[in-house]
Amino acid sequence: MASLNKSELQRYSRHLLLPEVGIEGQERLKKARILVIGAGGLGSPTILYLAAAGVGTIGIVDFDQVDLSNLQRQIIYTNDDVSSSKVERAAARATSLNPEIQLQRHDVRLSSENALEIFSGYDIIVDGTDNFSTRYLVNDACVFSKKPNVYGAIYRFEGQASVFAHKDGPCYRCLFPDPPPPDAVPNCAEGGVLGVMAGIIGCIQATEALKIILGIGNSLSGKLLIYDSLAMNFDSVAIPKNPNCPICGTNPSIQKLEDITVTCESQQAPTTVSISATELERELKSGHKLLLLDVRTPQEVAISRIADSTHIELAELPNRLSELNSDADIVAYCKSGVRSNKAVQLLLEHGFKKARNLEGGITSWAKEIDPSLNVY
Amino acid sequence: MLVHIPSPLRSYTKNQSEIQVDGDSVQGLLANMDKSYPGIRFRMIDEQDGIREHIKLYVDRKQIETLNMKLNGTETIHIICALSGG
Ligand SMILES: [Zn+2]
Repeated sequence: MASLNKSELQRYSRHLLLPEVGIEGQERLKKARILVIGAGGLGSPTILYLAAAGVGTIGIVDFDQVDLSNLQRQIIYTNDDVSSSKVERAAARATSLNPEIQLQRHDVRLSSENALEIFSGYDIIVDGTDNFSTRYLVNDACVFSKKPNVYGAIYRFEGQASVFAHKDGPCYRCLFPDPPPPDAVPNCAEGGVLGVMAGIIGCIQATEALKIILGIGNSLSGKLLIYDSLAMNFDSVAIPKNPNCPICGTNPSIQKLEDITVTCESQQAPTTVSISATELERELKSGHKLLLLDVRTPQEVAISRIADSTHIELAELPNRLSELNSDADIVAYCKSGVRSNKAVQLLLEHGFKKARNLEGGITSWAKEIDPSLNVY
Repeated sequence: MLVHIPSPLRSYTKNQSEIQVDGDSVQGLLANMDKSYPGIRFRMIDEQDGIREHIKLYVDRKQIETLNMKLNGTETIHIICALSGG
């Protein structure tokens, strides 16, 4: 057993006083190895609390840099960390909180190539990712390596948490066998999230991970915890183990780890004719008559807009096509070009003569043409 | 009865996270929901009357097997949507 030194005994005294933890439990925590996937909203509180609790080895997987728009919820970072490596800054912050523990930096994008190898060095995996592709990859790698997947997800004012692939319990695919089609479910970058949601759900994930190490209480395995912050309700529903689960069922169709692509740039959406920001500016300057169609939400329009645009949110477009001249030369835009691609498809299907998609959306326009625009 | 609405569908319910809806079966409940909040049913149920893959329906915290399930009006309904944010 990893024995505790004098300063550790003092540092963890409030744990040691708990009959459920004690010196033996704290030594278990010291021996434990937990991998946190994603050092973002969920990862921030999870890493901080696991570090404070004295989990001996914490691995962090992230390939991203800290962005100013992260600080609204990713509380492990400070303003000075903007543009620095997340793994680097998160590990440094955790070490400064508790120098007794080891931080392992995995500054890579998790993939089917590296997941099993990275997971092999840990006992428990915490899923704090922000996209379906990585969530399914984490689940599948946990099932194959027989390691519990401490799951959390958030959106707007809602959060979910569970423990998957723990002992004989269900996995994430028992609940949702396959990823949703692209755009069926928006992510936080599109729909927003109350920053505190990350704190609440991330702390629940940290609690579940600690309970599993300590072997105390009942885990969320077999249950999905739902947090509705508007009604201020915590509730949970049963997740039965699914005998038809494609990976942990009786006749699994998934035999080896594969990458799952659920990006917005999915091949499923046929690409339409696009125009770059610089070309668009040239056409506008030459006096060419264009109809600029902004298909973003009103909240996005309030942050920034390209002058002289017509605004019809994508969701409303099917019912409001009659407001547009079908002979006009239309250039549709959104934040990054995905929703406007759908808008262009819709227009062309409904007999519009000329519709193009602004490549990279207003984000590219702000970068290349008009840096005075607010980005988000 | 009380129906819990997941965030991605709250654009249909004027951002309410809980609504009251009647129905003597799950099918009837969904039809009534669609009357009050047009379009919401199609986000959960496909053209073949199947529950969409990223949606799960729960009656009294148990996953339902069929839309024909009878309700007596005292149940609590949860609609769960796969979320990806982190
Ligand atoms: Zn499964």
